[in-house]
Order: sequence, then C-alpha cells, then structure tokens
Amino acid sequence: MLRRIPQPPVDPTRRSVERHDFWPGFAALAAGAILAFCGARHVTGLDTVEGNSAWEFQLVKAFSTGGLQYADQLPPPPPPKLDAAANPAEALDRWAKEQANAHPPPWKVRVNAGAETPCPT
Amino acid sequence: MESFAANAPGRAPTALGLKLSRLRPWVQAGFLGVWLAPLGRWLHGIPGCVFHCYSCPLSSFACPIGVMANYAALFPVAGELPYLLIGLLLLVGAAAGSLVCGWACPFGFLQDLLGKLTPRKISLPGWLGYTRYAVLLGLVILLPMILGYKGIPFEDQVVSICRLCPAGALEAGLPYSIRSLQAGHGWLMSGLKTGILLSFLATALFMHRPWCRLFCPLGGLLALFNRFSLFHLQFNPKECVECNLCRSRCPMGVKVDQAVNVSGCVRCLECTICGALEPCLAWPEKGLPPNPPPRNAAP
Repeated sequence: MLRRIPQPPVDPTRRSVERHDFWPGFAALAAGAILAFCGARHVTGLDTVEGNSAWEFQLVKAFSTGGLQYADQLPPPPPPKLDAAANPAEALDRWAKEQANAHPPPWKVRVNAGAETPCPT
Repeated sequence: MESFAANAPGRAPTALGLKLSRLRPWVQAGFLGVWLAPLGRWLHGIPGCVFHCYSCPLSSFACPIGVMANYAALFPVAGELPYLLIGLLLLVGAAAGSLVCGWACPFGFLQDLLGKLTPRKISLPGWLGYTRYAVLLGLVILLPMILGYKGIPFEDQVVSICRLCPAGALEAGLPYSIRSLQAGHGWLMSGLKTGILLSFLATALFMHRPWCRLFCPLGGLLALFNRFSLFHLQFNPKECVECNLCRSRCPMGVKVDQAVNVSGCVRCLECTICGALEPCLAWPEKGLPPNPPPRNAAP
C-alpha cells in the first residue's frame, strides 16, 4: 500500500539533479579491477606449512578455517615415553636439554591451507 | 489503494518503480543461492561483497569484514595488505555503490523480511548512521591492529567484530550451537553473543534494517561510493509534482526530497516509484547542462 507521510514542502526547482560524472567512477572501477587482478595473483610474504609461499587467496581462506599458525603458540614436543625408554631419567634429562637449547622457528606466522576449523572465533 | 499524495491527486506510481519493488525480494532470494552455496566452500579464498559470515556451514565466499579485521590483526606481524579485498570493494563500490546492500545482501534481506512482520517502525535521526564508521575504524581496523601489536592473534581476541557480530551469531553460532546441543555438548555460543542475536532479532521487528542503519561497517564503506558510483539515482525536476512520495517510500529514512545519493541510502530503489527519481548509469557525454544550485546554496 502506498502512503504519504507528512513532511515539509519540497522545491524541485532548487534541487540538484545529482547527475554523476563518468570519470571518477570509472577511475575507481579501473583501480579496483587492477587491484583485484593483482591480488588474485599476489604471493604473500608468508609461508605455508609445506614450505611454499602462500597465495593471497590461501591466506584469506586460512582466516575462515583457523589456518594461521603462530610460532609462539606452537606446543612444545611431548616428553619421551618413560615406559619405553631404557633409562627413563636419562631420556627425560636429554629431552629437557633439547627444550632448553631449542631455537625458535624462522617464521612468525605461517599458513595451513588444509585447516578445517569450522568457526575459529 | 490509499490516497498517497494529497497535493498531487492524479499522480500514479510509475510502472518501473512498481516493477522494481516487486522484483527486489526475488533478486534477494536469488542471491541467497550465491552466498549460501552448499558446494561452494572452495570459494572461501575470495572475499564476497556482502555481509555474510564465512563460518556459516553453507557460506561460499569469505566475509569481507572478517577478512579486513584478520588482516588488521596480522598487519603488525606480517605487514600484509588485502589487495584482493580492496580491489573487489572498489570494483563493486565504484560500479554500484550500496546497491548490493539493497538487492544482494542476505543479512539485509533477512532484516527486510523481519520488518514486514510489524507495520509500525521506529524512526531514527540520520546522523546515527555515522556509528557505522566508528565500528569500521574502531572494531574492524584499530582494535584488531592494536591487539595484534600486543601479540594476540585475531582468533584469541576477546573483543572483536566476529565475537559481537549478529550475522555470525545467526549464521554460524546458531547452527553450531544447535548441532552441539543435539550431540549433548551444550550451547556453544556465549551469553553475550546469544543476547546480541536476540536483541537484533527483536529490534529488526520494530526498526527497518537496524544493523544496516546503525552498525554495518560494510554498508558504511560501500555507501561512501554513492556520491560518484557509475550506477546512481538521478532527479528529474520536470517529473516532480511535489507529492513527497519518494521520501514517504524510503524505508531507510533518507530525506530523498533533498538528496538521494547519500550514505544513508541502501539503493533499494523504492523511491523510483514516484517517477522523479530514475536509476541511471553515468556515461561519458558532452554538452550536458550544469546541475542547478543545491537547495542551501547562496543565491
């Protein structure tokens, strides 16, 4: 149903016709097309877990699947199984020394393109 | 049909306006098939141009706002910029402005449907629309970036757009919580997010598109293009009979009788029903007469 709400009178003769110029819109459109094309072919500075450089679309996908791995959040390797070791105390000591001397990985963040976390947040 | 224009009794709604008004829900429903494609999860590497949670089990494209916030959080660590996202938003914005809000956005469509359930709506002052830019700058860009500088990944940030977003609550939180409940693991969504979802649903009954008008950062961003996008609405003074039908039809409360290509407009094109406003495409032409001075210009 069409209704008219009360409002102040209008003056169409003094109103701008709001005609848009072609070139500003076209310039933005062309810039967008170029950026989108470059983005689709853009290789980011991040590595994947396989060791390759991650494409931009792999990074975008990683956001929605929990595929970003931060170096400072990697869990330490599990301690050795003491039941299986010949000398449990020595194995534990060796593991503790390895942990103390372990170097941080050379990357800060990397992309796991195969991650499938349904809702990361 | 009710008399809609006391000062223009002979005025009939235009055929184009009526056709567009009837066509819009069908186009919106058709676009749902694009955004909710069950086999389309391989497109998650491409940001979409509408507000739609990428964690939804059926979502095809990635949410542009989620991608933007993730990039902001990652920027201090990796210094990466979202070229693909910026390019796609520029492309869509320059071509059509906020037309996608009115015709393609699934969250806007849901709010349109909810709004049809109740006849009376609360009106809001237009300046409240600027809160969208506060959300965009604060929650989507600055906060994730600041927390990123502190070494907190986006997924672990307690306050973030994804944790507060009602679209995420509805499209991802709700299905996963229902699935979890059925499996006997309890309700997954936080109390805050559940409250946001319920408040949003209740508000959408009594206010037209509350999310779009008050908080949508994507709508705010695309609306910035409305002033120069190729697709736009043009006013034809010869057709105007001062019936004010254009402004009466606007569900977003835009003062259409003063200016229509403004940031509050979602380009639903309901105002075209009056005949004085016509959808058109900018084209390189020569010899066009200059625009008359605006209403508040000095004589």
